Amino acid sequence: MSLELIDGINKIHTLLTDNIEATWVSLIEYVLVGLGFLTLYALIALFLIIFERKICAYFQCRLGPNRVGPWGIFQVIADMVKILTKEIIPLKHNDKLLYYAAPFIVIMGSLLTFGGLQFAEGVYGVDFNVGVFYLLAVSSISIIGVMLAGWSSNNKYSLIGAMRSGAQVISFELSACLSMMAIVILGGSMNLSALMAAQEDAWFIFQSPFTWVALVIYLIAAHAETNRGPFDLPEAESELTAGYHVEYSGITFGFFYVAEYCNLFINAAIGTLVFLGGWQALHIPGCEGFNAVMDAIPSYIWMFGKTLVLIFLSLWVRWTFPRLRIDQLLHLEWKIMLPFSLANILLMAIWVIYFK
Amino acid sequence: MEDIKKLLAKVAPGKEVAEGTQYPTIELEPNEVRAVAKKLKEAGFDYLINLTGVDYTDALGTVYHISSSTNKTAVVVLKTKTADREEPVLYTVSDIWKSADLYEREVYDFFGIRFIDHPDMRRIFLRGDWKGFPFRKDYNEVNDTPTTNVNIDSLETLPSITLDKEGKIIEKSKQLFGNNEYVVNFGPQHPATHGVLHLRVSLDGEIVKKVDPNFGYIHRGIEKMCESLTYPQILPYTERLDYLSGSINRHAFCMCVEKAAGIEVPQRAQYIRCIFDELTRVASHLLGWGCMAMDMGAITAFIYGMRDREKIMDIFEENAGGRLMPAYSIIGGLTKDVVPNFQQTVSDFVAYMRESIKEYHTLFTGNPIATGRMHNVGWLTKETAVALGTTGPTGRASGWSNDVRKLAPYAAYDKVKFNEVLRNTDTCKGDSFDRYIIRLDEVLESLNIIEQLNDNLPTDGVNVKVPAIVKLPEGEYYQRAESARGDFGVYIKSDGNKNPYRVKFRSPCMTLISALDPLCKGEKIADLITIGASLDYVIPCADR
Amino acid sequence: MKKYFTDIFSGIWNLLKGMKITGKVLVSPAVTECYPEKRDELQPKERFRAELTMPHNENNEHKCTACGICAMNCPNQTITVNKSKITDENGKSKIVLDQYLYDLGSCIFCGLCSRVCPQGAIEFTNNFEHAVYTRSKLIKQLNKPGSKKVEVAKPVAPAAKPASAPAQQEKEAAPKQENENNQ
Repeated sequence: MSLELIDGINKIHTLLTDNIEATWVSLIEYVLVGLGFLTLYALIALFLIIFERKICAYFQCRLGPNRVGPWGIFQVIADMVKILTKEIIPLKHNDKLLYYAAPFIVIMGSLLTFGGLQFAEGVYGVDFNVGVFYLLAVSSISIIGVMLAGWSSNNKYSLIGAMRSGAQVISFELSACLSMMAIVILGGSMNLSALMAAQEDAWFIFQSPFTWVALVIYLIAAHAETNRGPFDLPEAESELTAGYHVEYSGITFGFFYVAEYCNLFINAAIGTLVFLGGWQALHIPGCEGFNAVMDAIPSYIWMFGKTLVLIFLSLWVRWTFPRLRIDQLLHLEWKIMLPFSLANILLMAIWVIYFK
Repeated sequence: MEDIKKLLAKVAPGKEVAEGTQYPTIELEPNEVRAVAKKLKEAGFDYLINLTGVDYTDALGTVYHISSSTNKTAVVVLKTKTADREEPVLYTVSDIWKSADLYEREVYDFFGIRFIDHPDMRRIFLRGDWKGFPFRKDYNEVNDTPTTNVNIDSLETLPSITLDKEGKIIEKSKQLFGNNEYVVNFGPQHPATHGVLHLRVSLDGEIVKKVDPNFGYIHRGIEKMCESLTYPQILPYTERLDYLSGSINRHAFCMCVEKAAGIEVPQRAQYIRCIFDELTRVASHLLGWGCMAMDMGAITAFIYGMRDREKIMDIFEENAGGRLMPAYSIIGGLTKDVVPNFQQTVSDFVAYMRESIKEYHTLFTGNPIATGRMHNVGWLTKETAVALGTTGPTGRASGWSNDVRKLAPYAAYDKVKFNEVLRNTDTCKGDSFDRYIIRLDEVLESLNIIEQLNDNLPTDGVNVKVPAIVKLPEGEYYQRAESARGDFGVYIKSDGNKNPYRVKFRSPCMTLISALDPLCKGEKIADLITIGASLDYVIPCADR
Repeated sequence: MKKYFTDIFSGIWNLLKGMKITGKVLVSPAVTECYPEKRDELQPKERFRAELTMPHNENNEHKCTACGICAMNCPNQTITVNKSKITDENGKSKIVLDQYLYDLGSCIFCGLCSRVCPQGAIEFTNNFEHAVYTRSKLIKQLNKPGSKKVEVAKPVAPAAKPASAPAQQEKEAAPKQENENNQ
């Protein structure tokens, strides 16, 4: 399908270039692509919300939402409508500009990441030569929004939540980057397309044992960056009631909520692209028949399937473990994960020198 | 009994030990109380069970029930009263027994007796601007208390009184928090305060500097209501004190009335009451375990606890007709006999629960995050536990043996073999983990008790005929019972009418909440929640 | 150093064991039930106290003598018994029940009223679906309109009874039987 999609896009492109001036064509195309990403963004968030609610219910021997539509799948649409119609409660003594800007910054951070992702063979917004770097850089913009939200709400809970969030995301960003650097060493490029091409024969996890270490570190760090349990200290329902977004209501809260789920997707997608071969099918070198069967499965199914597996893992962790305390969290990062990822980079470099 | 009388003769020379009372009792003049209390404390009586205010119509007074952490079965009662109804003052014992701190505030709130040198004479349950003292017999219910609280400052200012050299009263006051302190309100509406408790917490970053619990958001005046209800009518209210050990509270009240009225309850009823008490305890500990897990962020564990608790609720529903409030014990026995398949259901449940506990240990006790959060946090030494009167699992986790089922066996508890679950006093630190693990151990011990009782259920009837109107002979009666949270006590003072003259429930939860401040000092916000959950208090029990 | 690594790996192992527990629950069936769909299967237990009722027999007769003991015993003043004094055809005055009002909203389901009733006229039943739109609907009249108190047979030995009215005797025996069943 992805090829047909590209064909369709090409047809639109020729249609436009035949009729309109070139600058206008690019402008229209930018808007169209942007709208496409926005739609995808919303759809992914909606899907993940219902997915998590169902999965979490099954973990807790419950049934989960089952009233709206078959198996409750339209529950999330109903919730969306509800949240859109809810009142945005204004606060008196707060920094209005920052208060209202914060949710947008959070949304922007995760939306920008979509531009750098690859969803299927040849389906991506921009193919940066420093794609991995771009993804890491942009996905951590949302922390600014979180900090602003906590600060501008003029609330003691949200301030504590924001400060925790700052400490947490900044430290775990480090491990996430370092574990990706190990892959960059292995793949020899920061360009996502080049990394994809390097995984054609075998995914990176099958190319080196140290990729596994990097993958585990990345998954933990990425999970921590999404501010979801067991790393939900900034929200910490039982301690800070809702942490940094305690004063937000209606769609302003909805933005935080949607961004949380999209970040979940983005982190899993980055993990898939960098470690699990992205949209590449499972290939075993030498088994032509098997490879042909695998190739028959469309690339976007591979991509979203693997992403979903990682998301499921993340949900499993979230709904099993208790929350860490702030000192445990920092201990985990600075005393366990950071030494491990540093050592891993070193070992990976040695591996690349001697075995590749 | 004789030893204690000798001791009393030594600590309070010239005072007569009252005859015919349940516990050795002496009456003291107000200015003698402190001296006797100090001597008693030195003699090992370091646990103040209960401090009750009483309006004797002509005088206002207090009753002290005192026990010891070493001589566990001994209980002595001190009494004192002052005839001054306008400006009643008594001497504080809060520096001798730490737990008297909150009790004396309660007496002040209800009777208007001020305690000299008590550091914090705020009202505890009622608003600071409340007019009058409701437990006085001459209290006018129609008064001009404003409908909105205009005097919020009363939370912040700690009044106290002291005596100068001439014996005149000097009023003093000090501020609770400094001007530069970062004070965060936890509650009254907060997910982790287990009800409407209001904690004002002074923070230094993540570190807790001071915790000030503010009670009374669910104060229903049950003790005051009891004074106008008949004894059978009080029963449903006892279940609503600590709703998680409702059966046990009700059992305790029934026992108190039965003891006073001289009613002999059939063995079968006593066995079934004990089975229900233990099932209640299991249910309460399961909820406590689940809530602790949930407060620490593991919501799934909470649901598992609730799932298994539901089986107990089903047993209650099938036999007693109620779930959270079974309303099974009545004065003289039980409402109805158990259903025929009761024994089978209970033994099935016991087997199921034993497997579940293993699962809980795998899911949560073994979890390094959970243990990391519970170990070495919120240390409660045995001495502090005794001084604060934190009974029940909390006290036993600190190595203080205080199980009422063992030291003053009631109902069928003397007929079963069981161990008092105690954390090893040598290795015990009394931290959150000890308080956590002791609850799961107690569940296993309760299952043992249930099994023994269930297998040997006697076949005599489940109730005896009691008069339609229960009247207790004049006197004072006290009954202790081990509720899921500790030493629950019922104090009834009867004047021979069908209504009690004064009822006081010894709430195990109030002392647990008073332990929050010493436990949380220097710990983190997350630990405040964990410690609160590990103490496992229930607010309606504290507020009454 | 060794402890550092063993701690990490035993920690991970214990975390995985915890995940195994939740994973097992994930694939086992849920314990909750769909309520309105499975209403017929999910009836509460027989003794469950959900609502106070006054059973009437097929002749629209109840057993309440309007003595008011239930109202007196209720700790919450949930029950109001309105009664009036009437004179029957024989010229004897007696007290009859006009209205038996039960405020479900303030009932605490302690069961004291049904326990103290000397006639066994009121009992708790299983109907737990109490939701209404206005609070006033929670105040229920328990005696049905037009109902009256059932005439209970006089406690006279059967031998001493005149044998002239066997039909009447049978009729009186029926409610008595019911009375015993209830207790």
